[in-house]
Amino acid sequence: MRRVLIIGYGNPLRADDGVGWQAARRLAELRQDEFVETLALHQLTPELAEPISRADLVIFIDASHDGSPGSWKCERLVAGRTAGNSLAHHFTPASLLTYAQAIFQASPFALVISVAGASFAYREQLTPSVEKALPQVIQHVREQIARLHSKPEQTYA
Amino acid sequence: MSKQILIDPVTRIEGHSKITIELDDQGEVREAQFHVTQFRGFEKFCEGRPFSEMPSLTARTCGICPVSHLLASAKACDRLLAVEIPPTAAKLRRLMNLAQIVQSHALSFFHLSSPDLLFGMDGDPAERNIMGVVQAYPALAKDGIALRKFGQEIIAMLGGKRIHPAWAVPGGVSEPLQEEKREKMLAMIPEAFAIIDRTLSWYKSVLEKFQDEIGVFGNFPSMFMALVTPHDVDQHEALLEHYDGKLRFVDAAGQIVLDQVDPERYRDYIGESVETYSYLKSPYFKAAGYPNGIYRVGPLARLNIIDRCGTPRADQEWVEFRRLQPGVISSSFHQHYARLVEILYGIERIEQILSDPDILDRHIRAFAQPNKFEGIGVAEAPRGTLIHHYRIDKNGLIDWVNMIIATGHNNLAMNRSVQQVAQHYVRGTRLQEGMLNRVEAVIRCYDPCLSCSTHAIGRMPLHIQLVGPGGEILDEVKRN
Repeated sequence: MRRVLIIGYGNPLRADDGVGWQAARRLAELRQDEFVETLALHQLTPELAEPISRADLVIFIDASHDGSPGSWKCERLVAGRTAGNSLAHHFTPASLLTYAQAIFQASPFALVISVAGASFAYREQLTPSVEKALPQVIQHVREQIARLHSKPEQTYA
Repeated sequence: MSKQILIDPVTRIEGHSKITIELDDQGEVREAQFHVTQFRGFEKFCEGRPFSEMPSLTARTCGICPVSHLLASAKACDRLLAVEIPPTAAKLRRLMNLAQIVQSHALSFFHLSSPDLLFGMDGDPAERNIMGVVQAYPALAKDGIALRKFGQEIIAMLGGKRIHPAWAVPGGVSEPLQEEKREKMLAMIPEAFAIIDRTLSWYKSVLEKFQDEIGVFGNFPSMFMALVTPHDVDQHEALLEHYDGKLRFVDAAGQIVLDQVDPERYRDYIGESVETYSYLKSPYFKAAGYPNGIYRVGPLARLNIIDRCGTPRADQEWVEFRRLQPGVISSSFHQHYARLVEILYGIERIEQILSDPDILDRHIRAFAQPNKFEGIGVAEAPRGTLIHHYRIDKNGLIDWVNMIIATGHNNLAMNRSVQQVAQHYVRGTRLQEGMLNRVEAVIRCYDPCLSCSTHAIGRMPLHIQLVGPGGEILDEVKRN
C-alpha cells in the first residue's frame, strides 16, 4: 500500500493561521489508516525530510495571505532551493522536498493546499469564511488519497 | 562627520533584528549595536492568568526551545506550591531538558552554522546556506537531521508532541515513562553517539582554518555564569548542570567570583537595564555596574565554569576543549565546539537516566494548593540560563512576571562581539559580502533566540544600508 503523509501547519493561537493545523487534526480524527500519517505542526522543521522521504504522496496544508478569505488552491509542489535566508524556523515545503531528495534520494509526489485567511489575530477560532472552507479542503485531501490508492501500480502524476 | 552602516535584519537567527555600525570621521568603526526591533510583552499578558497555566502559556514563547520555558515555569510553580517533586519526576524533566539541548544544538550547528564552516566566511552566499550543505555535503546534513530527530523523538515520546508539549506541570509531570518508550529511546542512542563522534572529529579537523575568526569573534575578557551541580564549596567539584543546581560566576581569568548561589537570589546579583535602541533588555552583574557587568551564558559559559562535565566521554572532550586556551576560553567562536561537547554529554546523560531503575516509577506528581505567593524557577536552556519569576495573589492568579531569557543575558556580549568584528573587518563606506557575513556570523555564535527574548513574527530577508550623517543612503545590499 502506498504511503501518504499529510502535514498541516500553522499557529492555532493566531486565528486563520491555524487552518492547516485544524485540517490535519480533523483528518486524523476521520482516518484511522496505517498508510496515512497525519501531522499537525506549528512549523516545518528539517527532520520532516525523513518521513517525507518514506511517503508516496505528501500533502502540505497551510494558511495564506493571498486571495479572498476562504478561497483555497491546491498546487503541485516541486523540490527547490527556496529556503532563502529564513532558515531557522521557516523551512518551506519545497526546501523539505529538496532535503528528502538530496539526503534520502526520495521524490514523493507533493501537493500544497493554501487557504486564504481573513484574520491572523490572537484567537483560537477560525474566521467564518475559513471555517466554511475547511470541509472542502478536507474532502479534497480525501479525494487525493483515494485517487492514489485507486491506482496503486501507477505513478501518481 | 560620522556615518552609519545598517544591517537589517540579520539572517539565520530566530526573530527579527538589525545591526547598526557607526563610523567616525576617519571611516573607522566607532560603535556597533545589535537591535531587537520587535516586542512581545509576554510578562505583561500573563498577568491575571491562573498560575497553573503558566507552563503551557510560557512554552509558547518559542517554537525552538519551548521545553526550556516549560521546565523553568514548572519549577517556578513548584515553588508556589512549596513542594518537593517526586525524584522520578525530576529525572524525567531532566531527561526532556537534555533532549531539548541535543536537538537545539543540532539545529544551531548543522543547519545554521555549518554553511559558514563548510563553505568559508567568504563563500558565495548562493551556496553558503543549508540548501548548499544539503547538495554538497548530504551525509553531514543527514547527520544533522538524525541528531535533531533523536532529541525531538524523546521529547515527543515524553510529552506527546515535539513542539509545545504540556507535560511538565506544577508538582511534577503528567505522565510516567512507559517501558516500551524507554526501550525505543535507548535503541536510538548508538546512532546518536556515532553521529556526534564523527562530527566532533570533523570539526576539530577544520578548526585551524578559522584562526582569524577565533581571534576576533567575541574574543574579549568577560565574566561567565551558569548553573553547576550543588556541591561542597571546599571540594570545588562543580559538574555540568542543566536542570537544577546552583549559580556560579567566574571572572575573565577563570577565578570563581560567586559560587553555590541559590538561583532564587538572582536579583541580588543580576541587574536589568534597558536601552532605547532595542526591546531586548540587558542584564548585568550588579557588583560591576552597568554596562561593565557584562557576562556570558550558554554552552561556552557552562564549559568555562565547571570543574569537569561528569560523564566519561564528555570529560575527555572537555579536557581537550579547555586546552585551547589557558584559563577560560574567551572566544565566542568556540560556542560551536562547546555545543558539540554538550551534545555528547547530553547523550551520555540521557543513557544514564534511562538506565536508572526508578525511571519507570509511577509516582510522578505532588499535589498541593499554592502555599507561597512568589516562585522562581531556573534552568539551563540551550542558549544559557533561563529565569522565570512569578508572583500570585490569594486566588492563585498571576500578579507579576519577570523572565530573563538566555539571549538577554548575552545581549551586552553580543553588542561587544559585533563591535569587535566590525572594527576588524569593516573598512570604508562600501559593504562587502565577506565582511557582512562575519558580522552576522558572530551573532550566530550565540544562537540567539529573539522570539524568546521579545517575540518575532515574520521572514528575514537581509537588508543592509550604509547611511550617511544626513540620512542619505551611501550603499545598500538586499538578499531575499
